[in-house]
Amino acid sequence: MSNWVIRGLRTPVPTTRFPAAPERARGASPGMPRATVLPEEVAADLARRCPTGALAAHGERVVVDPARCVHSFRCVRGVASPMDWNHGNEWAAPRGTDARPFGPLGAAFRGSAHILVVDAGDCGACLAEVKHLNNPYYNMHRLGFFVTPTPRNADILLVVGSGTVNMRWALRKAYEAMPAPKRVVAVGTCALTGSVFAPSFASDAGIHDLPVDVAVPGSPPPPLAILHGLLLVTGRAPAARSGSGLVDTAKAD
Amino acid sequence: MMALNVLAASFLTACAAGVIASATLPDRRVPAVLACTGSAMAMMLMAIGLTVLATGHLWSATLWTVAPFGALTLEVDRLAAVFITAMGLVCLPVSLFSAGYLLRYLGRYSLRSFGILYHGLLAAIALTLATSDVLAFLLAWEAMAILSYFLVNYEHEQREHTHAGYLMLVMGEAGTVAVMVAFLLLINAAGGLPFAALRHAAATAGVQTRWAVFLLSFFGFGVKAGLLPGSSWLPRAHPAAPANVSAVLSGVILNLGLYGIIRVNLDLLPAHLVGPGIVVLVVGSLSALVGILYATTQNDLKAMLAHSSIENIGIVTAALGAGLVFGASGEATLASMAYVAALYHMVNHSAYKGLLFLGAGAVDGGAGERHMDRLGGLIRRMPWTAMFFLVGALAIAAMPPFNGFASEWLTLQTLLRSVELHATAVKIVFALCGAALALTASLAATCFVKTFAMSFLGLPRSGAAGSAHEAAPTALAAMGILAAVCLALGILPTYTIPALSGAVAPLTHASAADALVPSFFAPATPGHALPASFVADFRTLGAQVGRHLLPGRGLIVLLRGGTDNPVVFAMSTSYAFPVLLGLIGLVYLAVHVGTRARTLARRPRWDGGVPRLDPEMTYTATGFSNPVRVVFNAVFHPSMADDTTEVVAEHFRTAVRRARVETYVADRFVADPLAGWSHGLARALAAMHRGGLNTYAAYVLLTLLLVLVAARLL
Amino acid sequence: MSPVDRAGASRTGIDALVRAEWPDVAISSDGRAATIACPPEALRGVCRRLFSDLGYAFGGLVVEDAQAVWSLRYLFYSPLAELAHVVTECVKPSETVPSISVEVHAADWHEREAEDLFGLGFEGHPRLGDFVLHNDVWPESVAPMRRSFDPAVRAPLHRPDPNWAPLRLVDEPGAFLMPVGPIYSDITESALFLLETVGEDVIRVFPRLFYKYRAVEKNAEGRSVDDGLLVAERFAATSAFAHSLAFCHAVEQIGGIAVPPRGRTLRIFLAELERLRHHVAAIEGICASTALAVAASQAAILEEQLLRLSGALTGHRYLFGLNVPGGLARDLETAACRETAASVGTVLHGLSRLREMLRFSSSFLDRIEGVGAIAEQAALTHGLVGPIARASNVARDLRRAQPYGGYEQFEFQVPRETTGDGYARLLVLFAEAEQSTGLLRQSADRLSEGPVHVPAPIRAGAAFGWCEAPLGAAFHWVRIGADGRIERFRPITPSFVNWHGFHLAAENFAFQDFPIILATFGLSVAECDR
Repeated sequence: MSNWVIRGLRTPVPTTRFPAAPERARGASPGMPRATVLPEEVAADLARRCPTGALAAHGERVVVDPARCVHSFRCVRGVASPMDWNHGNEWAAPRGTDARPFGPLGAAFRGSAHILVVDAGDCGACLAEVKHLNNPYYNMHRLGFFVTPTPRNADILLVVGSGTVNMRWALRKAYEAMPAPKRVVAVGTCALTGSVFAPSFASDAGIHDLPVDVAVPGSPPPPLAILHGLLLVTGRAPAARSGSGLVDTAKAD
Repeated sequence: MMALNVLAASFLTACAAGVIASATLPDRRVPAVLACTGSAMAMMLMAIGLTVLATGHLWSATLWTVAPFGALTLEVDRLAAVFITAMGLVCLPVSLFSAGYLLRYLGRYSLRSFGILYHGLLAAIALTLATSDVLAFLLAWEAMAILSYFLVNYEHEQREHTHAGYLMLVMGEAGTVAVMVAFLLLINAAGGLPFAALRHAAATAGVQTRWAVFLLSFFGFGVKAGLLPGSSWLPRAHPAAPANVSAVLSGVILNLGLYGIIRVNLDLLPAHLVGPGIVVLVVGSLSALVGILYATTQNDLKAMLAHSSIENIGIVTAALGAGLVFGASGEATLASMAYVAALYHMVNHSAYKGLLFLGAGAVDGGAGERHMDRLGGLIRRMPWTAMFFLVGALAIAAMPPFNGFASEWLTLQTLLRSVELHATAVKIVFALCGAALALTASLAATCFVKTFAMSFLGLPRSGAAGSAHEAAPTALAAMGILAAVCLALGILPTYTIPALSGAVAPLTHASAADALVPSFFAPATPGHALPASFVADFRTLGAQVGRHLLPGRGLIVLLRGGTDNPVVFAMSTSYAFPVLLGLIGLVYLAVHVGTRARTLARRPRWDGGVPRLDPEMTYTATGFSNPVRVVFNAVFHPSMADDTTEVVAEHFRTAVRRARVETYVADRFVADPLAGWSHGLARALAAMHRGGLNTYAAYVLLTLLLVLVAARLL
Repeated sequence: MSPVDRAGASRTGIDALVRAEWPDVAISSDGRAATIACPPEALRGVCRRLFSDLGYAFGGLVVEDAQAVWSLRYLFYSPLAELAHVVTECVKPSETVPSISVEVHAADWHEREAEDLFGLGFEGHPRLGDFVLHNDVWPESVAPMRRSFDPAVRAPLHRPDPNWAPLRLVDEPGAFLMPVGPIYSDITESALFLLETVGEDVIRVFPRLFYKYRAVEKNAEGRSVDDGLLVAERFAATSAFAHSLAFCHAVEQIGGIAVPPRGRTLRIFLAELERLRHHVAAIEGICASTALAVAASQAAILEEQLLRLSGALTGHRYLFGLNVPGGLARDLETAACRETAASVGTVLHGLSRLREMLRFSSSFLDRIEGVGAIAEQAALTHGLVGPIARASNVARDLRRAQPYGGYEQFEFQVPRETTGDGYARLLVLFAEAEQSTGLLRQSADRLSEGPVHVPAPIRAGAAFGWCEAPLGAAFHWVRIGADGRIERFRPITPSFVNWHGFHLAAENFAFQDFPIILATFGLSVAECDR
């Protein structure tokens, strides 16, 4: 057994400095297109190329709806003038309505918040990236986030997947079983708009049965984007900083 | 004295009246009559017992004199009075309970015969305890054995029940034969039948006689008490009997076995040897451990209680064994403490086991089901029964403030006093037995958590459990009485111990009361006086708290040090009880006040998101106790009677059928081999009987020859 | 064995055994696959012959709702011969077809799925219903895969059927059902496991899947090939590259497109990178299930390194958006590939050290050795594939059995173990990770210059495309209509096949071993549920 202790102690600490400093390692994020100004006909063509309608051409300006982007790369590969690319990962954005404006969890949850992760029809990638939050690179425990298997202890419901019909009732029950105050974080394009799978008879186009408070786009969003979403929902990341480079987000919504 | 004579006479009159009324009245009236006469008899018994205990005077009455056998004298000394009081304590609520309970048999079985048998049984038990000579004792004993056999056999249409009753009779009679031989040995030395004569001759008995009498009486009476290895009958017979009879069997008749052991080995032939004490201690501890192991894995309420009876009698016996060892080692005070612990636990067991058997009867009556796997959720349908059963379960699991705690703690503490003995081997045996009893106590807690949770909490696991109904008011009153007794015996040990000590004192010539419940912290012995300053400190610290509030003493002192070791170990359930109540009240208040401002949201239980949480998705009693079964696999020694997989087509299974069969450990090692041998012997003898005249003539000749040779050699 | 030999071997064997018994069965071959057209009444016999006598493995069942008939295509494959399609047609309006599950048990779940989705009655199948469409949510009459089904139909949110009760098989006093899921443990895919148990001893486990059913097959219908590719790629992200590859193979097969050599080699490079990453993640899961935190963290570090290497090289951590019919969507720099292969070498070094430490951790071995064993015969009957089958001494690997994409030019072993327990599965994962690293290095070294993509015209037709996904054999049946849109898309996934055999490993075990058995299976629910 002691071998493992020694091995563990000898392993260098790879943990990211995020959120204190941005993470610049290559391959930590797939990136996402950002609003770009292009000649009018090129813009229209690019918007058409997008398989999920994440791009919209307004004259010379192509705006991006991150909630629809599935990283098909069709707006950058095989085209003469590609979209500008945002290599960051602070994509999470609050989602509120006039009737129910976004409010982060209170100060009591800044030191420690418990998360229930529910898979409502995910392809495995978002779930894997959520799991990676526990690995030594991202280590969300250092920020006071803990995953719990029961909604009774959970403050945050983290949903991945498009919301399949077979999971609807279980998802609803899990949300109802959580004590107030509670927040819902929808992770991944599937959970926001259904991606390429929905809507269909077997699945909703995203999680609409529950009041989603924070949306983390991406297919899948890299771990740091999810972490950013968690910081946002606990009020530890400024909502304004989110969507840097994706300024059109709010309008596109 | 006169008053006791009157009581005894009216007891017999009530019994006769009960028998006559049962025989003449129609069936449906019998339960009510039985409740009246039975409880009257029980109350008279209690009055006799308590009077003798309180006054300390022996009561005796000579009924008549028969020429060759001497006078038939009834005699109740303080030892018998303890048993008689305990009997009254159980029989009073049992009789009340019977009023409602017996009606379930109306039309199916004869209630008249039940009434006659029940009254007869009470009288036989009382007489067994009140006789003072061997002949009368054995006669009453036999009457008790046969009457209880009939009552176990009451539901005679069920084959299992008749078999259980038959086994009980056979094993009981085998024990009686052993007891008779033991008495013959004593009579041989004494030359007379009265107990007084036997007692007189005891001093001259040799070591071999002592061992022989001890072994025969211990194992003979041990069968009746349900001790290993003669306990095979008990887990079968007790569940077979109607619940009220089960309560009497467990709460009273098992005590008779203990009475026999105590009467012979403490009173008639006081042990001077350490050996018998060790045997008693080991057998008691093993019985306790095996009893609770089987109780934990049993799922039939009554079978579980029956195994638990073996456990409790085992604890009592272990304490008796400790007392015998202390007595033989010259530690008279310690011996008294051990005997007091034993009697205390016995009385407690009578109370809570009676209560639990009545509770099981109420469950059986209310739900029509006593298998825990098919119960559950009864607390909603039977709240009062649940509450009383919970009291019984807490008491038997030795949880304060109930009585089981007081006596079991006393027993364990007494075993710890073995450090004062000198022989190392004996100390090791004490340590091992102490460990076994500690394990027993923890398993008992597991067992009754399971029993209560699986029967009364959760979701009903069968339609019967879902539509159960509360027991009759008389039944609830009966259980209420016993629950109150459990609480009273638990919080007033300082009243109980002196009374029991009085019963024990004539046997050991030392008082446990002075040691355990001192009037004040006087130094143990003048030679080892505690420093005056220490006594003063202790007084100011509050050892005397409540002396003027409570009418009696409040502390049980378990150990007093001397000058070199000035410590005092003491406990007080009497003081702890109000403190406990106060704390509970405070917590309730704190929670109530603390959460008043908050809104309370009730949500359905979290089920992982399954479509529906069925009762069949909750733990069963078998599942709860399965870890115990796995860990103690060597004891249970299960075999697979059925392990089949059915398929509808290749690779498509439709059923996995499995059944586990366990042979009771006493059967496996004792009863089954014995039965096998006797079968073999019978077959061998049968083979000799060929029916030919010549053969028989040859047998006669051969026998004659053998006798002649034997006579020549001897 | 060359393709010509394979075709010959197959035809002789099939001819000899089938022709003699069923003269009206038509056998034809196009050089890649033999098609055995047989009437429904001969179906059972023919399938039994292929499976029992000729040693074919059952690949999967494709049901197609043609105009006048139900077309059922049973796929068989063998390392010694070309693929064999047994095709049978049932004339409408009959809705009953014969079941082959009793003879070929691997077809059990395929038939149950078809019964649920097409509303076909499989005559002779002993257990149908409540499979993909959960009975507590969907009415029995819904048959969504039929052409007549209106895809705009939406299921209303309603309370589950209160009368739903799971199937109980165990009849032992005191046995009860312990439901685990669909929301359980910390971060897991949704699936319900019904454990029949008497306390600590679990007698049997019955997985209830398809909580994540997204109707991928229905979704792809009517889409363009490009959009269909997105669906094929993304329904199971842990094997995204493998599934997009199988889909592209099918499209390329239909169109007769030959991918240029550089594209083929890069595909092998990326497929092995994915396999390596998948296996490292599976090893991490096994370490975590035995509560060996340091080992799990070590594996997690390696996994993240591989993800970052993938991300830096291709732009996406899970290799999304690379495969297109005709090759790859973008070229990768040769130097970058070789650097990646070198970096992967250090990952393998870390992995080898981890394996050596695990091999001498007695607390770890105590928990994993002998746990969840599957016998070779059982693995064959259930048609298990991938590392799970190879741990039970069934060395099936499509890269060898039905080579594609130039694998025959590379050197690699197909590791196998004989004991079939959890430890054997772990060792197979380690050994395959090593082989994948070797393949990565070889393919990086052999990268030739040239294009990675040729234009791929879309033609009408139907074909199977296949590939050895990280979890085992994946077959994608694609039918493209005259309008260039997808008419039928049926992915047959290794997880679907292997979940069917999960109960073999989860019988008569102690409850605390359950997560370990699950982890050593390492199956994807998304890949099964689709």
